[in-house]
Amino acid sequence: MANLAAVVGIGQTKYTTKRDDVSIAGLVREAAQNALDDAGIGWDDIDAVILGKAPDMFEGVIMPEIYLTDALGCNGKPMLRVHTAGSVGGSTALVAASHVQSGAFNRVLTVAFEKQSESNAMWALSNPQPFSTHLNAGAGGYFAPIIREYMRRSNAPDDVGIKVAVKDRLHGARNPLAHLQRPDITMEEVKESFMLWDPIRFLESCPSSDGACAMVIANEELAEQSAKPPAWIRGVAMRSEPTMYAGREEVNPQAGKDCAADVYAQAGITDPRRDLDCAEVYVPFSWYEPMWLENLGFAPEGEGWKLTMEGATSLDEGGDIPWNPSGGVLSSNPIGASGMIRFAEAARQVRGDAGDHQVEGARLALGHAYGGGAQFFAMWVVGADKA
Amino acid sequence: MPESEILNQAFELGYTYTRSTGPVVGRFLTGLRDRKIVGIRASDGRVVVPPMEYDPDTAAELSEFVDVSSEGEIVSWAWVKHPREAHPSTEPFAWAMIRLDGADVPMVHWVQAGDESDLHTGARVRARWADETVGFITDIAGFELV
Repeated sequence: MANLAAVVGIGQTKYTTKRDDVSIAGLVREAAQNALDDAGIGWDDIDAVILGKAPDMFEGVIMPEIYLTDALGCNGKPMLRVHTAGSVGGSTALVAASHVQSGAFNRVLTVAFEKQSESNAMWALSNPQPFSTHLNAGAGGYFAPIIREYMRRSNAPDDVGIKVAVKDRLHGARNPLAHLQRPDITMEEVKESFMLWDPIRFLESCPSSDGACAMVIANEELAEQSAKPPAWIRGVAMRSEPTMYAGREEVNPQAGKDCAADVYAQAGITDPRRDLDCAEVYVPFSWYEPMWLENLGFAPEGEGWKLTMEGATSLDEGGDIPWNPSGGVLSSNPIGASGMIRFAEAARQVRGDAGDHQVEGARLALGHAYGGGAQFFAMWVVGADKA
Repeated sequence: MPESEILNQAFELGYTYTRSTGPVVGRFLTGLRDRKIVGIRASDGRVVVPPMEYDPDTAAELSEFVDVSSEGEIVSWAWVKHPREAHPSTEPFAWAMIRLDGADVPMVHWVQAGDESDLHTGARVRARWADETVGFITDIAGFELV
């Protein structure tokens, strides 16, 4: 049985197109310092540092953990870098949590980041490889046919993706840290935006952002003494599957279903829509909301889109299960950090510290990240209560 | 049995990246452009060149810049008898750790010398500036013996 652990500090940067005023170290440091300040502690209070980022080639910084050791106060402490493609922010948080849940460390700092403005993430994602056919697709090109297949199977109306694109940007407009600030966005505008990777339109896609996110995770004793309410970690799970093989279910991946079942079982969740108060889910392209609503068990297969269209996932429409109240990946996407932002925003909700995008009375929230060819899944459930 | 063939394919991979240097490294590089070398004072009082953004011991944010000399002494070196294409000099030269006057730690650069026997710990060297300085470490076109 794992020991109890909780999030006691959260720090983020303002997500934006370019942070050319700071080095990568300065960017990461800003989030980490904000997390320490939020926890009311200093660098000496941290026992280990767990760092995550997207593939090295995204920014051309090989082994950033070496470069960032000073900025993250790792002198004399264990430091570990985690890497699971786009889900890395989530899996990094889980590795940090396990350091505390195991009883080996009392209080750890975990940080994830991306500086997309200095990188070539789009093409570094589908770089040519020797002895392989070059896909030359980018993330959208990879996911577009999977989305098309979801639309065919579910018979969902064409404007489900458009609705998600609007909904998440309206959520983002409540969050001052969100990159895109579009309180005036309309369905018509999204519909008329150019087709980037058919059927994904420009405004149905995530932006390219610079930013970093950090959390302090502490054991039960320290969490009970923390100044601000802790977010208790009630379940943690990761699952993986190979990218490509004949017969792989890419629309509704088995690894995602298994990961959700595991994390729900730990948290005592039998009906996620009823039992959870909100969810921060990795939706980089709008149609992934209905797809993940089904994959994560919020709706039966083929019916996720109905929740979206009913407004069930919308804060502005008073939905019963708001998804991505922070604006989600569709509003801010510093890739390496995006998963951790989901985990941190879930924690903010149950701490009652989410500002204008607070889901009223949130007690139990899901944080979710996926990466690679929708093959790595990382999830946690956090609660205002220990159990 | 036929001999096995080993797969072989030419492969080149390259992207353009940019880099924001931030207030500390940026100040060092801007200094080079003006033919000046700047360090930073660490928490224990030592002057570190090139400057670091965060203290390696305490993690404190560092901000006290200190001008140092473009002259100093060799702490240690490695002689390169047969320079290769990527090296900064076509003549034999030394990679060297050089402690500049006013600095407490050495930095790595290269030293032009006629012969390895001219080098020793404590040998005095002076920076040679490139004809055109652009704000990059190669603005120092090596060091020469004083």
